[in-house]
Amino acid sequence: MKQLIALVALVAFTLPALAEDLTLGYIALESDPRYDENFAYARIALRPQGDSFDGVKLAVEDMKILTDAKGLTVSLDEMRVRPETVASAGERLVAEGIGYVIADLPAESIAVLADAVGGAATILNTTAPEDSLRRACYRGLLHTAASDRMISDALIQHLVRQEWTKVLLLHGKAERDTARAESFAEAAKRMRVDIVDTRVFDLSTNPALREENNIMLLTGGIRDYDVIVIADEYGEYSRYVPFQTALPRPVVGATGLVPAEWHWALERYGAPQVNSRFEAETGRRMGWQDWSTWVAARAVLTAFAKARAPGTEGDFLRSERLKLDGSKGVPMTFRPWNGQLRMPILLATHNAIVDIAPIEGFMHQLNTLDTLGQDEAEFACD
Amino acid sequence: MKRFFLAAALAALPLAASAKDTGLVFVSNEKSHDVWVYDNEFNVVKKIETSRRPRDMKMNAAQTLLYVACGDDDVIDVIDIETLGVVDQIPTGPSPEVFAFSPDESVIYVSNEEDSMLEVIDMESRIAIHDVPTGAEPEGVIGTPDGTTVYVTSEVADMVHVVDAGQGVVTDNIIVGTRPRRFVLTPDTNELWVSAELSSEIYVIDRDTNEIKDVLEFLPPGFRPEDVTPVGMAITADGSRGIISLGRANHIAVIDAHTKEVIDYVLVGSRAWSVALTRDESVAVVSNGLSDDITLVDMNTLRPIRSVPAGRVPHTVVIDD
Repeated sequence: MKQLIALVALVAFTLPALAEDLTLGYIALESDPRYDENFAYARIALRPQGDSFDGVKLAVEDMKILTDAKGLTVSLDEMRVRPETVASAGERLVAEGIGYVIADLPAESIAVLADAVGGAATILNTTAPEDSLRRACYRGLLHTAASDRMISDALIQHLVRQEWTKVLLLHGKAERDTARAESFAEAAKRMRVDIVDTRVFDLSTNPALREENNIMLLTGGIRDYDVIVIADEYGEYSRYVPFQTALPRPVVGATGLVPAEWHWALERYGAPQVNSRFEAETGRRMGWQDWSTWVAARAVLTAFAKARAPGTEGDFLRSERLKLDGSKGVPMTFRPWNGQLRMPILLATHNAIVDIAPIEGFMHQLNTLDTLGQDEAEFACD
Repeated sequence: MKRFFLAAALAALPLAASAKDTGLVFVSNEKSHDVWVYDNEFNVVKKIETSRRPRDMKMNAAQTLLYVACGDDDVIDVIDIETLGVVDQIPTGPSPEVFAFSPDESVIYVSNEEDSMLEVIDMESRIAIHDVPTGAEPEGVIGTPDGTTVYVTSEVADMVHVVDAGQGVVTDNIIVGTRPRRFVLTPDTNELWVSAELSSEIYVIDRDTNEIKDVLEFLPPGFRPEDVTPVGMAITADGSRGIISLGRANHIAVIDAHTKEVIDYVLVGSRAWSVALTRDESVAVVSNGLSDDITLVDMNTLRPIRSVPAGRVPHTVVIDD
């Protein structure tokens, strides 16, 4: 019996186009507060609109001719769960032998899923930026969302290049805002950017908190700074800050100039074609979350198309050979030390890409993309 | 000394003989929507306004007409080389990028970047007679001299489609490196070369078997592999030398086309892209997409002669000599 299996395996190995099935999992929350369209009472789009599953579908469509040529049949298994059912969904997909799962979940649900799967499947985290999730070093967990630190490093590079090195740092009270502000402070320390003060804002109009909610007071009482960096996940406070500051200084971070994985205004590297394919399918612009699920699915399908032998796709996916094209002009690979996808970060205004990090002049001994995020030497698993 | 050398190099350029072989150099500029025309001393003699986003250009065999694919207006503009004006337009599908003629110039094969098709347009009726579905973002197109086969790349699917020109169907797919862009055919070794921009490689394909014979990599001194983003290529008529533009590495590589050994790297402008040779092969003209200029390279000394301003985002160079 064993010999027969060995023979079958050998035959399969030599066939050029091997008929194969791949089921790609997708998991998201039934109602994810991060996508709540009704968050702002005035229906101002403060939240990404639409469903990141669209990114996965586009990637499968984009890669179809390649997967067809390889005799690979790709199907999708879409799971919509509640936070309390994430673990059982993880167990189910392991039981069904689904090897690759694209996850659009908040960090705490990613952690639950990774625990439940226990390395039996590769999970691609597409939208949770927490550095703590990278440092948790779950087996089988890869990240196509940029980490907080990558976002912060991208912004810092721009500030250093502009010589705007005296920063007033503002952040909200939510956990996400604190995390992003902390990552900014870390990045600032590495590049010797001076944070002249760090202040917490409050969304209320409570007169007792006016030092926190009045923008003039929040940004005043300091002799000078070059720029205001604001961390504000909800975006409700930050949108009022520009043009109301005590000193006439640019506001960046959560408003004004925003670092992100993707923006529709990118005009180079084939990005307009990706955007127009996405828009043609969905009737909306591709957000960074859609790009992230798109590139995650592309990564897996590329590995299946290009790995030399069946069973080595996981190794290929994590190797230097991946050279993934995310339409940002450089080949991308996953960092072996924490599973993070190396990528350029766009610095976008509402309608233009002002710069793309890594910015010219920021050097690295091995790969300039590693100037963004925790580098191997400063990284340790928790 | 330097001056003398420069003058000597320029004198080596062929002089205009007749209306044909005018010696004119044409450069399409994607973002200024025009084609700049230089004389054989690289003075700008005319800026021809075209439809929007002119990219690939090809001359007809008689060297009387220059065809320019204009991506944002979905047409191929036709420029009369004698009058240097747009005299005709051929409608195409959405976003034409690169194209090739059949050997008898009866049809054009054009890649439509936005709807993933290789479109076959009949030159006489100006009608698309056939569409060959390709992978997403088709780019490079080249036909074999015998007219039997057309090759087209898909930038997103990382493949080369082999198209039977007679039947208009894909007969084979070759999986290559990341973001395959352009092609050249070797004149003497039956090879197809494909540049893979993001995996920094040139794939050498045997045209009889469609098998990958060789994968070439380049690394000019002081650069990293990921800086090397090859796109444009040219081969000398005798098949002895190949020229590869290395994109963000700001160099071209000149290689022995048989042994594939690098002879030298030559510094050009920022994001070196398209390459064209003068007929006597004394000068290579390289378009630099991010420094809005073209660089002239002396092919004997393998040194840059000088750079000349072009329009915004120069794309393709065609030389009428």
